[in-house]
Amino acid sequence: MSLFRRARPDDRLLELLENAGANVHRASTMLREMLADFPERSDLAREILLCEQEGDRIAHDIIHRLNQRGVHVAFDSRDLYALVSALDDIVDYAEQTADSLGLYAIEAPMEQAEALAGVLEAAAAAVHAALVALRQRQALNGDLIQIHQLENDGDRLSRDAIASLFVSGVDPMMVIRWKDIFESLEQGIDSCETVAHVLEGIALKEGSG
Amino acid sequence: MSRAGRGRRAAARTRNLYFQGKKRLTATLWPGTVNCLRARQCNDFTPPPLLTLLMQPGPIRLAVIDSDSGFVRVLVKRMEGMSWHFQTFSAPVPTEQLVAMRLNALVVDPALLGPGAEEFIEGIAGEVPGLGVIVCSTRSTVAQRVRALRLGADDWVSKPCHPEEVVARIESVVRRRRRAVSRPDSGRMLAGELEVHPDQYQAVVAGRSLNLTRRQFELIQLLVEAHGQVLQREEIYQRVWGYAMAHGDRSVDVFVRKLRQALEAHSPRWEYIHTHFGIGYRLEPRLKAEHVQSPEPAPGRPPEAREQQVPVAVPPPLDLMTST
Repeated sequence: MSLFRRARPDDRLLELLENAGANVHRASTMLREMLADFPERSDLAREILLCEQEGDRIAHDIIHRLNQRGVHVAFDSRDLYALVSALDDIVDYAEQTADSLGLYAIEAPMEQAEALAGVLEAAAAAVHAALVALRQRQALNGDLIQIHQLENDGDRLSRDAIASLFVSGVDPMMVIRWKDIFESLEQGIDSCETVAHVLEGIALKEGSG
Repeated sequence: MSRAGRGRRAAARTRNLYFQGKKRLTATLWPGTVNCLRARQCNDFTPPPLLTLLMQPGPIRLAVIDSDSGFVRVLVKRMEGMSWHFQTFSAPVPTEQLVAMRLNALVVDPALLGPGAEEFIEGIAGEVPGLGVIVCSTRSTVAQRVRALRLGADDWVSKPCHPEEVVARIESVVRRRRRAVSRPDSGRMLAGELEVHPDQYQAVVAGRSLNLTRRQFELIQLLVEAHGQVLQREEIYQRVWGYAMAHGDRSVDVFVRKLRQALEAHSPRWEYIHTHFGIGYRLEPRLKAEHVQSPEPAPGRPPEAREQQVPVAVPPPLDLMTST
């Protein structure tokens, strides 16, 4: 699916989207590392928070750019707004997960959380790759299909993880803590799929125009 | 030169080495220190467990950290009369140095230590579980006294005070400490250099506390009590955490990792906890290969045979002793 048959959009806008993709990838990588070496790498929560703030700044810059006169957007503004919101959500959920680990005084990670963080990182890498392709006018299909597949994996892992908590005799406090964490990881992966949906919409409109 | 003369010279040499660059120390040294320092120069010296040493009946080993020269002088006179082994300091002393002295009691003036006094008291009380800490201070508030006692001090004496009262309080604290440790139901367990004191929630190596959290202590106690048997992760979780282990929970692995780090820092020559992949863990103290002395080659054997000879590391049996 090739993009931009019509006029090329503002390059600064595409650059900001690419930066947002890189930020999403960085935050999810740090979350996976944090969970793999938890509690030794608890300090990464602070770095992920900085990523979240950076994500907010980039989202604000993109929206500000959309509102500027004389900037040729080329895409549907509503699509861009949805894209920016979904990108911001990915980092927000990553940050929420990292924060919950400290907030709930988690002593040790769970294997399922590590697996979900691995899926989130892979999906975020595909999101980043799709946004790089968008800027370079290349096809997005491969990355978008990968995101959908990863989202399916995430759903399955998340369901199994929650089911493992409801085995007889497990500490109820542990159920409360980890159910929240599994859900925020899954929501992060779902937000990656939202990004894929919006990019599909953009590509479709560009192709049919 | 007579044997006694050679001994005195050797002792003086050791003493000079010890005090090199430490002029702030007053040179009152107990006889045991010289022997201890000499022994430390040997490679094969392994210090006896501190708590065992401290709780043996005998003269009290004491350090006084106080810059009030008049108070220290009269106290020293009393202690000399009682044949105590003591050392006085007129400046702050590192905790490590005090740990190495194997003291029964410590008299300390917080004014000398400055703002870090409470941290020091907490640190030394935590590091040496058998040490009695007596704080001796001129001016203090109720809050300061309460805080120090809660942080680990055993007694607080306000100056001006009679030296006889200070001596009596030191004796009282040491007596209580010795009684507490020598209680018949203390259930002390030994594994390699590790001592586990269930009644005090303390795990100690060569006199130094591992500073474990409650859960870490319960885990090491469980492993030591298993007498070298492999315990499954699920069983460990059930017995330490009190709940069924959720599939994928890595709590046991993380806590074992922390225990290994603490043991490695305090007892680097020994390997304690062994992993059985897919099953669980086993605690069996074993000297690391590099610390196991290879046996002497048999005389007359060809060099090839000697090269092929593999040093056999015979693991000592788990030394699990429960005092009765």
